[in-house]
Amino acid sequence: MRLRWNMTRLSSWLFSAIAIAAIVAMAGLLVIESVPVWKHEGASFLTGTRWFFRQEEFGAASMIYGSVAVALIALVLAAPLALGAAVFSAEYLPRRARLALKVTIELLAGVPSVVYGLLGILLLRDWIYQVLERFDPLSGDTLLTAGVLLAVMILPTIMTLADDALRAVPGAQRVAARGLGMTSTEAVLHVSLPQAAPGLLAAMLLGLGRALGETIAVFLVVGRQDNQWPESLASLRPLMEAGQTLTSKLGGSETNIAYGQPLHWAAITGLGLLLLGLVLVVTLAGVWLQRLAGKHHHV
Amino acid sequence: MKIIPTLTLLATFSGLLSQVQAEPLKINGSTTVNPPVAEAAEILRSERDIQIQVDTQGGSSGGISMLGEDRVQLGMSSKHVSESDRAKFPKCDFHEIHMGEDAVALIVSKDVWQGGVKALTKEQVAGIYEGRIKNWKQVGGPDQRIAFFNKEPGRGTWEVFAHWVYGDAKKAPQVSHLEVGGNEEARNKVASTRGALSQLSSSWADGKTVFALSLKVDGKDIAPTSENIATHAYPLSRPLFLLSNGEPQGEAKAFVEFLLGERGQELVKKHGYLSLAQLKGEAAAK
Repeated sequence: MRLRWNMTRLSSWLFSAIAIAAIVAMAGLLVIESVPVWKHEGASFLTGTRWFFRQEEFGAASMIYGSVAVALIALVLAAPLALGAAVFSAEYLPRRARLALKVTIELLAGVPSVVYGLLGILLLRDWIYQVLERFDPLSGDTLLTAGVLLAVMILPTIMTLADDALRAVPGAQRVAARGLGMTSTEAVLHVSLPQAAPGLLAAMLLGLGRALGETIAVFLVVGRQDNQWPESLASLRPLMEAGQTLTSKLGGSETNIAYGQPLHWAAITGLGLLLLGLVLVVTLAGVWLQRLAGKHHHV
Repeated sequence: MKIIPTLTLLATFSGLLSQVQAEPLKINGSTTVNPPVAEAAEILRSERDIQIQVDTQGGSSGGISMLGEDRVQLGMSSKHVSESDRAKFPKCDFHEIHMGEDAVALIVSKDVWQGGVKALTKEQVAGIYEGRIKNWKQVGGPDQRIAFFNKEPGRGTWEVFAHWVYGDAKKAPQVSHLEVGGNEEARNKVASTRGALSQLSSSWADGKTVFALSLKVDGKDIAPTSENIATHAYPLSRPLFLLSNGEPQGEAKAFVEFLLGERGQELVKKHGYLSLAQLKGEAAAK
């Protein structure tokens, strides 16, 4: 097919190029700015568990742990609920009711995160503090608190994407399944869910991406305590203590102190680079799976 | 559907209008300095139609760095501009405009206060800060873990605290405690946590949800009362500043004059700080 360079094509190329250039420039800038810390710390910037900026020790491991732990808690709590809600709305609700439900849930996704953060301070912190009382947590600021708050925040994202994935399974297949004598439950379990699996996984990954990148809500309830590397990664106990995530560190006032001090600043931009990398990998995996799921249905 | 073109028209016009209007006067910095400044800004906005934006990103060091980068016309700070700050922003000619005085209180939650902890010595505070003292019973209080909410480094409150305990904020050992940022956050978290301790601007210590400890100096308990702050008998007091790049000009100048004037100083008092006149008066009375 001959390419026709009309205005529409030209401008969409142009704008795509700008978008790509922006992300490349951003990543490039973070890489360049963070060079001193990689020289100073080497791989121990990733594996080091001590972050004491005045002693020029920069190990990001406990922040990576915090980010991952908080995002996983959110996913574990939100995914079953979100998938359940998606199955209900995609498979059982009539069209109009489904749309009404979807719009309502998508509205939740649009609530500014600082509002969730304030609700977290008002309600969730104290509730978690009371619930965990027999474990004697130091305060209501814990990784768990941040995880639960994030779960509420990513639930709408996962639900609405999972609903789309389920709706993308062609209706004819459901009819065929019922025609073969399956109950509606069996049709969901054996036809819709397996067919939509890549899309559902994608929904969860995109939710995870959002959880990893969320800043202000986490900032308000995670406690921002540095150097909380757990003795055992498998243990649940550290989740009841305060911690620090990549985003809560970057949101704090340490960035103001770091500015103008090359090494410290490099360490901070290095954290930015790590965060960008983490979110990018998870989100790209999600988008890739979504495309895969899309192709699968349209063959 | 005529509503869409109307809306577009409106949007275009309001866009034009906002371009015609001058850039607002931007102020950023310490949450401690913020309350009187924000109220003064509100008054000037309604009385003289000066557009003023007041923000508290990053506390005092946020105010210093944003003024240094020329992103605001006035900074708010509850600490002096240090030599290293000046070195960081060589293009900025920092002027400190003294507008009042405040004290940093060590505040505790109700259970600690009622458990009998009313005063601490500097050594005890250092012990808690360094994690050698972990339980309130070690300083004569109830058997309860100490939940220490440390103010983020870079906050004016933290600098004053560290300066008192270690002589120089740079000499403070690096520790990892729970961290809090703004004053609201610190007060809220201390009030809702058992065994909690934090540094907070004394005007925010309400005596109902959080309680200000006295400091033991030479065997005497000294409470952060306005008299003790003015005479500097209470060691944890600090000046409050507006910062400008060179002499303030235009609207910034008008704002500074208002805040240093009678009504502005009333606002400083209203928010629990010492006005300049009080400071002179109380000190002279001694």
